[in-house]
Amino acid sequence: MNPQNYSSSALRDLTRRHLFSRCAMGVGSMALSSLMAAPGGKTHFPARAKHVIFLFMAGGPSQLEMFDHKPKLTELNGQPIPDSYVKGKRFAFMDSSHRSDLLGPRIGFRQHGQSGAWVSDYLPHLSGIVDDIAIVKTCKTELFNHAPAKLFMNTGSGLFGRPSMGAWITYGLGSECDDLPGFVVLQSGPRGPRGGSVLWGSGMLPTTYQGVPLRNQGDPIVNLSTPADVSEQRQRQVVDAVRELNLKRLIETGDDEISTRINAYEMAYRMQTSAPELMDISGEGQNTLDLYGIKDPKEPSYARNCLLARRLVERGVRFVQLYDTNWDHHGGPTENLQKHLPEKCRDVDQASAALVTDLKQRGLLDDTIVIWGGEFGRTPMGEVRESTGRNHHIDAFTMWFAGGGFRRGVVYGETDEFGFGAVEHPVHVHDLHATILHQLGLEHERLSVRSQGLDFRLTGVDPAHVVRDLLS
Amino acid sequence: MSFLRLLSCFLFAISAASAGIPFNRDVRPILAENCFACHGFDKKGRKADLRLDTRNGALAVIRPGKPQDSELLARVVTTDEEELMPPKKSGKQLTAEQKETLRKWIEEGAGYEKHWAFEPPAAALIPGRAEEHPIDAFIRNRLTSEGLAASPEADPATLIRRVSLDLTGLPPGTAEVDAFLRERQKDPEKAYRDLVDRLLGSAHYGERWGRWWLDQARYADSNGYSIDAPRQIWKFRDWVIGALNSGMTFDQFTVEQLAGDLLPGATESQKIATGFHRNTQINQEGGIDKEQFRIDSVFDRVATTGTVWLGLTVGCAQCHDHKFDPIEQREYYQLFAFLNSQDEPTLKVFDASVDVSGLSEELKELQQKLAARMQEQAEELAAWEADLTPASRKTMPAATLKILEIAPGKRTFAQSRALFAASIGAVGVFRELNDRYAEVDTVLNGGVTTMILKEAAVPRKTHVLIKGDFTRPAEEVNPGTPAVLHPFSAPSQRRANRLDLAKWIMSPENPITARVIVNRIWQQYFGRGLVETENDFGMQGTAPTHPELLDWLAVSFREGGWNVKELHRLIVTSATYRKSSVQRPELREKDPGNYLLARQQRLRLDAEIVRDVALTASGLISSKIGGPPVYPPIPDGVMGQGQVKRTWQVSKGEDRYRRGLYTFVYRASPPPSLTVFDAPDGFSSCTRRTRSNTPLQALTLLNDAAFYECAKALSQLIQREGLETAFRRCTSRNPSDAELAVLSPLAAADAARVLLNLDETVTRE
Repeated sequence: MNPQNYSSSALRDLTRRHLFSRCAMGVGSMALSSLMAAPGGKTHFPARAKHVIFLFMAGGPSQLEMFDHKPKLTELNGQPIPDSYVKGKRFAFMDSSHRSDLLGPRIGFRQHGQSGAWVSDYLPHLSGIVDDIAIVKTCKTELFNHAPAKLFMNTGSGLFGRPSMGAWITYGLGSECDDLPGFVVLQSGPRGPRGGSVLWGSGMLPTTYQGVPLRNQGDPIVNLSTPADVSEQRQRQVVDAVRELNLKRLIETGDDEISTRINAYEMAYRMQTSAPELMDISGEGQNTLDLYGIKDPKEPSYARNCLLARRLVERGVRFVQLYDTNWDHHGGPTENLQKHLPEKCRDVDQASAALVTDLKQRGLLDDTIVIWGGEFGRTPMGEVRESTGRNHHIDAFTMWFAGGGFRRGVVYGETDEFGFGAVEHPVHVHDLHATILHQLGLEHERLSVRSQGLDFRLTGVDPAHVVRDLLS
Repeated sequence: MSFLRLLSCFLFAISAASAGIPFNRDVRPILAENCFACHGFDKKGRKADLRLDTRNGALAVIRPGKPQDSELLARVVTTDEEELMPPKKSGKQLTAEQKETLRKWIEEGAGYEKHWAFEPPAAALIPGRAEEHPIDAFIRNRLTSEGLAASPEADPATLIRRVSLDLTGLPPGTAEVDAFLRERQKDPEKAYRDLVDRLLGSAHYGERWGRWWLDQARYADSNGYSIDAPRQIWKFRDWVIGALNSGMTFDQFTVEQLAGDLLPGATESQKIATGFHRNTQINQEGGIDKEQFRIDSVFDRVATTGTVWLGLTVGCAQCHDHKFDPIEQREYYQLFAFLNSQDEPTLKVFDASVDVSGLSEELKELQQKLAARMQEQAEELAAWEADLTPASRKTMPAATLKILEIAPGKRTFAQSRALFAASIGAVGVFRELNDRYAEVDTVLNGGVTTMILKEAAVPRKTHVLIKGDFTRPAEEVNPGTPAVLHPFSAPSQRRANRLDLAKWIMSPENPITARVIVNRIWQQYFGRGLVETENDFGMQGTAPTHPELLDWLAVSFREGGWNVKELHRLIVTSATYRKSSVQRPELREKDPGNYLLARQQRLRLDAEIVRDVALTASGLISSKIGGPPVYPPIPDGVMGQGQVKRTWQVSKGEDRYRRGLYTFVYRASPPPSLTVFDAPDGFSSCTRRTRSNTPLQALTLLNDAAFYECAKALSQLIQREGLETAFRRCTSRNPSDAELAVLSPLAAADAARVLLNLDETVTRE
């Protein structure tokens, strides 16, 4: 049989036939509904956006060298921060390399666009798109170590085992793509993000909603290729027979895990074709490659991942997350403000801006939310290691948003003269989550899953607010 | 006995009804969630000098019996935002129901209870009929109260596959299934018990449960961090397997791993056991502060000890007093002090057949004889050297020429020996002595090494580290244990050491360890512990679903002499364990998570066992136990991902087909076919594996070279023995006609792949 005939709707029909003919016990109804989970259409109210691309700068980018312009820091460089700011505060590396002397920004800032947003000279390309994005300078998180803070940004909790935002959203909306996972993770930088795969885990949601990492080299996915001496047709026959037998077992046992596995095999089979197609960007025009700053289309890079993110969204993938590592500029030998921060900025500046521009040109930006940010920001005070850097800071840091009904050309929230805390419009991570879900047509308080007698939500138990000021 | 049971049941019902609001169940969660962050254990974080985590503290704002006079209640019900607790800005808010609970609780006297896990387990009387298995009695008791009926026993083929996989990690062979079915005809109960006996006696039992322990020991075969060089510590892995197979009691198992080197007359095996705490990462990057990473490894040891044996998140008190559990930062460093005073050598380990002391003695004698001989013939050698011509030199190996450049008086023993052997000693007595010397030397230097702990000759001092920062030592502390647990009696004549810690952990007064271990074993059989948060029995953890059962098991385990195999036997012989795992509509409705255990649970097999099942079904598996880790085929490009590219020379012969737990694991680039099925990363202790279910697993089973090789072997079996046998090798049961109808049209090669890819094949039903 032609593989194309086994679309998910064919699978649903098949399932329905089996269940209705065999299912005297009534065990299959739940399994049936999970197999038939309609893509989309489960929103709580009309959605402004359908897709999310989260550009995650792992390590905590320094807002003070990028978006939060603080001339006062330059003026008072080297002087201790007033006690009133730091009293009772806790920091990572408290009292070791942590210091209380203010550190002026390492780079100059200029105003750009009609919005007049201040952006540092490290970011010439992002400077050019300030009128397309909403810059939020007063993001606020709760945890100041990398893995817990990354978990918090992704799952709304510092504990292992909670569903990540991508999992929640794919769970809430389903996938619009039946030959690629609904939630895809791409990575660049010298290593994986601290915290690892729990950052894209599904927690107490079914495992089918967890993020799938795509490799940048070789087979995009390990074991993607059929064994050399197995023909396409035979691979299909094997997958069909596995499904038939698994379906019979599902009906016998009523175990939902089997329906997940049936879906997994269908997806795996389709991925064998679609993933290599996706990763092959040789068909992209030279002007597109130039826009992103991709020199060699085969070479893995953040820029290439940005282009892949666009291709994924084009194919209906719900949630794409890019991790770029080594943004932890304490002033250590491999992560300092003088040499490495400008390098990291160069790595992401052009491609991040290009992604927004490219999506806009293709009419995809309206229903795609692009998020840029890390797990926290960095202190206005210098930290002394091999060179002077900045420590982790959770009270005020910058993220930006584009598309998906977010306002364009706004700078939201104001920090104090040192950029230490918010003096206007603090935006907690849970508020960001609530806002993102809102744009996708999901009410954060209703998107919940019951586990152990408790209703778990991305936004936790404390009240979270949709930041309507950010929305157009 | 049955009367007592009934009575206890009755008393339990009475006490539950008369005690009013149970503090631990209803009140503590309200206080913990809303109040403890500012009015709890952490004195630095405490506001208004008020603590509500103790009754004494709370009496400042509570008048027992008089809710109307209690400020606590006034502050939570007030409409004045200035006065309201918890404050508005905390974002927390009590529900009307919670406020009423507090009111009633105060009215009833505001009684406090110690957190359940810190109270010693009480051997609850077993409810129900005397002839009933105790586990079943507890489980049925709860089911009855919830109006649910237990599922029937699983069918025999499912049962033998289940218990074989659970006890040995291997599926039963078709002959074993047939034998079991035959025996059941005579006496089903005896047949099952005999089966359990056989499985517990199998050497594969130690492999399956060894891997369970190795997860907790964060075992892997490399040093971790960015360099991730290979290490030798597999002797520890083999020690674990051997200890479990020998039926070592859990207290001995614990003592040897935490402090085997400190036991009087410590044996080699007991030293190897201390490898448990050498499974920490080692950072080999240039320019690091070694002390920083040594401290990090001790942090890991404290956290691991706390998690594995105490079921507590002790590590939370590394930087500050624990926010939720009564563990002070100072107490953390007292625990740290036990684990901060050892050297970290490697131990050379020889095969049992090697007479190490005899050979060492012989080597010494040989060395003396050779030295004497060389001295005697020194002049002769000098003459030989003098006669050397440029032409003769040209024929000599570079190593010899190098030695010749060294002045005769400055040559080492090894250099002189080599030179003699290449010249005037090439024949005769010197040759004989020298050959034997080389042989003995090779044997003695050829042993395997393994990483161990050794108590330092001079104890290392331990200080509280401010904020966990090793550069900021504060007050010095001595070894000690958290006051919330049972008392530790420090030795008077000497400094307390790891052995004292191990004995304290295994003390019968310890309220928590037996519960933690039985819970973690239970979890393997039902997919979830009686306490779901298997690594946190503290106040943030979940309460047990069956507290009386948990306590009964804990007390039985301890009182029974920590007999691990007996605990396994107890669980797998219960009817609860043997129930069918088939879902039922009323259970899906009332207990979708199967917390009440009206049925068994289908569980996807652990990563290594997914491999073991494929190898067994296809007949490829090697039954060899232990030995150095092996290198089965892995996908291309996997080893190139770390900072240092490692080679992966695929093993030959039977080592290509060893069980999954013997696969070499580089922490930084672990084998994908294990990782994809959720094998732990070895970076920190893993007390529960997740069970994911993904397209990547499908791709692995379909396309991975190792699984494909199994499929080819199974395909030959299909050709020789038929489809039905192959089906049984994978699932242990006979296929239905409908199933055969799906498989028969396929070529054998394809049918084999189908069988290895079935959900049922990789699942324990």
